[in-house]
Amino acid sequence: MWKATKATIKGLIAYVIYFFAWSFLSPLSQLIPGLQQMIETFVAIYIVLMVLGELTSGTIYQHFFNAAKALFIIAYMLMSLKGGMFGFSFENVSLMIDLRMFVVIAMLLSLLGLAKSVLQAIDFMNEKAEPRLLKLS
Amino acid sequence: MKIPIRMIGIATTFFWIFLIAFSVSAAYSAKDIQFNFGDPQTGMNADNELFFSLPITIVNRGFYNIGNFNVTSRIADSDGHEITRGSTLISVIRKGEEVTASHDLTFDIDDLLQRDQEYLFNDSEVRIHEAVGLRLAEVIPVQAEANFTLPWGAPLYNFAIGEPQYSAFNTTHFRATVPISFENHAFFDLAGSIQLRMYNNVGTRTGYGETALVAAQHARYDGAVEFYVLISGVTPNGRFEACLFSPLFNYGPWVIPYG
Repeated sequence: MWKATKATIKGLIAYVIYFFAWSFLSPLSQLIPGLQQMIETFVAIYIVLMVLGELTSGTIYQHFFNAAKALFIIAYMLMSLKGGMFGFSFENVSLMIDLRMFVVIAMLLSLLGLAKSVLQAIDFMNEKAEPRLLKLS
Repeated sequence: MKIPIRMIGIATTFFWIFLIAFSVSAAYSAKDIQFNFGDPQTGMNADNELFFSLPITIVNRGFYNIGNFNVTSRIADSDGHEITRGSTLISVIRKGEEVTASHDLTFDIDDLLQRDQEYLFNDSEVRIHEAVGLRLAEVIPVQAEANFTLPWGAPLYNFAIGEPQYSAFNTTHFRATVPISFENHAFFDLAGSIQLRMYNNVGTRTGYGETALVAAQHARYDGAVEFYVLISGVTPNGRFEACLFSPLFNYGPWVIPYG
C-alpha cells in the first residue's frame, strides 16, 4: 500500500513539474510543430517507468526499471532531437537550433543515472549474497 | 557502497534540475527578444557604389544575454555567382538592453555588368540569402536562414537607337539626329552621358556625338544625339557604337546597326 502511495505521489509530482515547465515552453509549440507531442510522449513513458520502479522497490526489478529509465532518456534524446541539431522549415525560412551541448550534458547525466542503477543492483545483489548473522537466543 | 550511490543520486538530481531549469528559462526568454527592422535606405557612397542600409533594433527582455548576434546577407545573380555580401555582428546584447545596428551592403553595378550585361538591358532577378544567427543565453546557437529572389529592373530596358535623320548643314556636312529611347526599370535614377560613334558600311567613322541623359527610376527616356557627318561618308546602312558613362557604371562600346 505504501509503495503504491509513494509511486502515485512521485508520478503526480513529475506531472506537476511537467505541467509547470510546459507553461513556459508552450509559446515554442507554435513555432516547432510536434513539440508538445514529443514532450508528452517522453513524460508519459518516463512517469510509467518511474512508477514501475517505485512499485517494484525492494526487488531487483526496481533497478531494471531505473536502468531502463536512464537508457530511455538517452535513446529518446538521440531520436527526437536528431543528434542535437534541431531544425525545421516554414515556407522558405529554415530555423536551426544547435542543442548538441544540451544533448551531451543530458547524455552524461543519463549515463550517471545508469551507473547509479548498476551500482544499486550490484549493492542489492551483494546484500542478498552476504551471509546473515545467526542470532542465538 | 550506499554513500557513493547516494552522492551520485544527489549530484545527478541537482544537475538535472539545473539543466531543466536553465533550458526551460532560456527557451521561455526567447519569446521576449524583439527584432525591429527600420526603413531600409539606399543611396550612393563616395566610391560611387550603391549602398543598402537596414537599421535593426534588438530588444532583449529575456533572462539571459544574447551572444554573437550575426546578420549575413548574400546577393547572387541568377546563376548563383556572388555579387555582394554584407555581415553585421554584435558580440553581446545584455539582458534588458536595446541595441540598434545598421546592416550595410554595398553594391558595385560595374561588377555585375562585367559578369552579365543582360542586367543592363533585360529585367531579371537576383537571389538573396539572409542568415540571422545568435546564441541564446550565450550558449545555445540558433540560426535562421531564408532564400528569396528580388526582381532586378534593367536601367536600359528596351534600349533603341532610331534611324538617323539628316538635314543639310553646309556643303560638306549633314546634321544627323539620332533618336534614343529606353525605359529605366532600375531602382535608381540614371544620370550621365551617352556617346555615339557612327560608322558607314565600309567601316569609316562618319560622325561622333554625345548627349547628357537623365532618366528617373521607373521612367521612360526619349532623347536624341545630334552631330555632324560628312556627306561623302554617309551610306544607307552601317553601325553605331555607343558608350554610356554614369557615376554608377560605365558601359560600352556596344554595336547597334542601322539602315
